[in-house]
Amino acid sequence: MKREIDLGILFSRSGTYSLLGEASLTGARKAIAQVNSDPEFDLAFRAVERDPKGNVDDYAPLCEQILRESSARHIIGCTTSWSRKEVIPSLERADGALWYPVPHEGFETSDRIVYTHACPNQHLVPLLDHAFARHGTNSYLTGSNYIWGWEMNRLAREVGIRAGGSVLGERYLPLGATDVTRIVAEIGEMQPDFVLNQLIGPSQYAFLLAMADLRARDPYFAQGNCPVLSCNLTDCELPAIGAAAEGVIAAGPWFCGMPDLAEGVERNFGSSFEVVAHASVIMLARLLHGRPGAENWPLAQLLALPQPSAMAINARTHHTRLPVVIAQVQGGVFVPLKIMGPVEGDPYLTLRSETPRPALRMVP
Amino acid sequence: MIRRLNIPDLGGAHAAILHRPHATVVALTRQLEAIGLNVSSYWPDLPVAARSSDYLFLDVDTAYNEQFPWPPGRAPVPTIALVGSEAPGRIEWLMNFGADAQILKPVGTSGVYSALLIARATFDSRAEMADSIASLRTRLGQRQTVVRAVALLASRGKSEDAAYDQLRAMAMAWQISFEDAAERIVANARHQESEHG
Repeated sequence: MKREIDLGILFSRSGTYSLLGEASLTGARKAIAQVNSDPEFDLAFRAVERDPKGNVDDYAPLCEQILRESSARHIIGCTTSWSRKEVIPSLERADGALWYPVPHEGFETSDRIVYTHACPNQHLVPLLDHAFARHGTNSYLTGSNYIWGWEMNRLAREVGIRAGGSVLGERYLPLGATDVTRIVAEIGEMQPDFVLNQLIGPSQYAFLLAMADLRARDPYFAQGNCPVLSCNLTDCELPAIGAAAEGVIAAGPWFCGMPDLAEGVERNFGSSFEVVAHASVIMLARLLHGRPGAENWPLAQLLALPQPSAMAINARTHHTRLPVVIAQVQGGVFVPLKIMGPVEGDPYLTLRSETPRPALRMVP
Repeated sequence: MIRRLNIPDLGGAHAAILHRPHATVVALTRQLEAIGLNVSSYWPDLPVAARSSDYLFLDVDTAYNEQFPWPPGRAPVPTIALVGSEAPGRIEWLMNFGADAQILKPVGTSGVYSALLIARATFDSRAEMADSIASLRTRLGQRQTVVRAVALLASRGKSEDAAYDQLRAMAMAWQISFEDAAERIVANARHQESEHG
């Protein structure tokens, strides 16, 4: 007889990053179905789903609603860093834990959160290493106007300058904005070695379309010269972008066709967002299995068990050890160029001496 | 003006916490270790070894001057105040102590990393400022010497402006500061005076 455990699910199914939210949701649902039908688990999850519809101000109230109106203490959720930061006070107030299955920009280790996707030493830094070696060190940086883009580009600037390169330009768009004319015109003029793109959703789709157009008319950008880089583009968005995604180089822990992270078997997953959300639920199920009542333990107590480190969760940083894959869109699918790792998450870039040290710009 | 501020390696750096055994110490230690620092906590005495740590956290609610073997405002390491009570007396104590950054209690999982960065930056700029103040003080003290040197040079038939320019040229030729050049001229004159009786 399985014991039933409420599990919060908090992803947006509409709004500017709905494809990412849908992918995470699909992964979480697949894992819940798997746990519930697997007699090896002494528990079954009952999903308590809420949809903030891409509205950042709805995350905290809905998070609190899950924790107050159900017995769920764990929530799988959030896509943007902005929304993640919004729910932390709710988690603290209502005594909950968040499993955050999406790449983030680091410099955060909440004791209420397990960060199960990649942080910069697992995506941005190896991606830049690859670009510097293959394409050069002169970059153009662009992104959506919020913490993810700002911090990732600050880090990229730092790493680039350390490598002797220079940043030829840096420009941001508001979330959801699609007027990329100025950015692409600037790139056309400056002819960087590569473009680092931290744009989200429709902004990214519009940007890649305009870049494809630039490649068709300017020989400097033809034949894959000056590739566009991304730390969050996955297989799940390729159909929405179509041919314009051709040549994009991305970093992530998983791309289509690789074995999944939780069990090392091949399943029919659509993207790393789906795989990591799935792995998060499976990891949680394994922690709760055989421990009636553990679903109400504080996260710290759960992570102090011996199992988390065997499952690659670091109890000190709350980050996970993940493979690092550099992949390029070729013929409509991501093809791995390089598979490394697994690498320990290092959210403050303090673990390894070869990781870049952050520097700040101060405006007195 | 935009200044670039380099942050020292926090991985493996050492933080000392001066606080009685308490949940605050547990939360702070957890966060510092997550960032990659080594942590030791002490109460009520700060051992000599702790003074060579890279950062010092102290509890403003309970701290008193005798715990710190340096005059107020002269901590040899970046200090971060843990502020609980906002009673004006405690804030006044904190102002006199001169911490480089502060965190409001209860200590959660945010605020620690930024406090480390701000404390280091404030500490460095404080040290830099102390250096420039000391050097300005020295130069101020040498002002009379400059006046005498200019007067000496002018007494050889130059205008005061020309004497001033000459002093500057000499300082450049000798590759020393303006004030040091003035000192040398005054000393030489004194020397010549004593030779010639």
